[in-house]
Amino acid sequence: MTQAIKLVFSHSTYLAISFVIFASMLVGLLLLSEYIFLEPYVVSHLPPGTEFGLFLIVILSALSALVIPMNIFRISVLKSSKQKMNGSIFGSVIGSIAGACSCGPIGFALISTFGSIGATTTAFLTNYETPIRVVAIAVLTVTYFTTVKSLKIECKINS
Amino acid sequence: MNKKILILGVIIVGITVTIFTSFSTPSETVNLDMGRTHGTISTSMGSPILGNPSAPITIVEFGDYQCHQCNNWYHNTKPSISHDYIETGKINLVFMDLAFLGNDSPKAAQASYCAEDQGLYWDYHDLLYNSQEPEIDGGWANSERLKAFAFSLGLDMDLFDGCLDSGKYSKRVQYNIQQAHKHGVKGTPGFFIVGPDGQQQIGGAQPFSVFKQILDPVI
Repeated sequence: MTQAIKLVFSHSTYLAISFVIFASMLVGLLLLSEYIFLEPYVVSHLPPGTEFGLFLIVILSALSALVIPMNIFRISVLKSSKQKMNGSIFGSVIGSIAGACSCGPIGFALISTFGSIGATTTAFLTNYETPIRVVAIAVLTVTYFTTVKSLKIECKINS
Repeated sequence: MNKKILILGVIIVGITVTIFTSFSTPSETVNLDMGRTHGTISTSMGSPILGNPSAPITIVEFGDYQCHQCNNWYHNTKPSISHDYIETGKINLVFMDLAFLGNDSPKAAQASYCAEDQGLYWDYHDLLYNSQEPEIDGGWANSERLKAFAFSLGLDMDLFDGCLDSGKYSKRVQYNIQQAHKHGVKGTPGFFIVGPDGQQQIGGAQPFSVFKQILDPVI
């Protein structure tokens, strides 16, 4: 398993992609979930009872940063199928939008633009934020293991 | 003669009761200063002022009773603001409704004004935030529950039910939502700190330290 990770992340390009994905997802989700604010001052804030939400965001960002570059590697270097890439993108996107649509600007814009459909979507994504994130993490985890398995076969790595 | 006195007495009592009833029946103008503004925001349809009405600084909060971040702010930031600034008379606070999250949000906002009719706006406001449940439109703020909250505060239920069922304050809530749109509020909670030198907007359930950094220099 570690050999597959070493194989991919020994290339600086994939390490950079991983860092960009992790940083952008983490900062973006922390902003949307109001763990950090940029205006009027840069400040971080962890209200009591929201610790688990923060934990899920960190795990989601880390898994996305691990799985997406591995699949880009498979597609670009090994010319493999894009099927597992879809799983990693799906997990990342679903996990991200779950927390974005609450009473913040995205939820507000969604409701203002799409009316009752937007309101229903926002309510669903807000009500089931934690289960959706857990499912997204599960999807990414499964994608990670299948990707590692594929890399072992395609690159003939000994476990 | 006695009969005439009796009839006259009944008429006088009837007139007295009618006059008393008409003056004690709450109307939409109760607790409303139609010309009230804070900065550029018309707060005439908002909540009663919490704290010292003549305080030089006002926090205008735009919120939704079903919003989780509003609930976060209510429980984690507002107590410190109340303790350090509102209770000491340095600032006051007005709540305006940006009820957009679900079908129960506007109804909950209307219910708060029905409670205001009986002088318990802030008690009802507090009860709503203390009773908030995670699910939007999950039933915790439906009409039955809103009435149950009113009952638990000891409000006159005939008056409250009539007010809520008739949608008496529907336009008032809509007016507040329009004020939010007009001032570029793009989510809840949203705040304006209004002082003699202007107003500053703060978005989101920001911590006490942010409010303190803004308030201390202007007090």
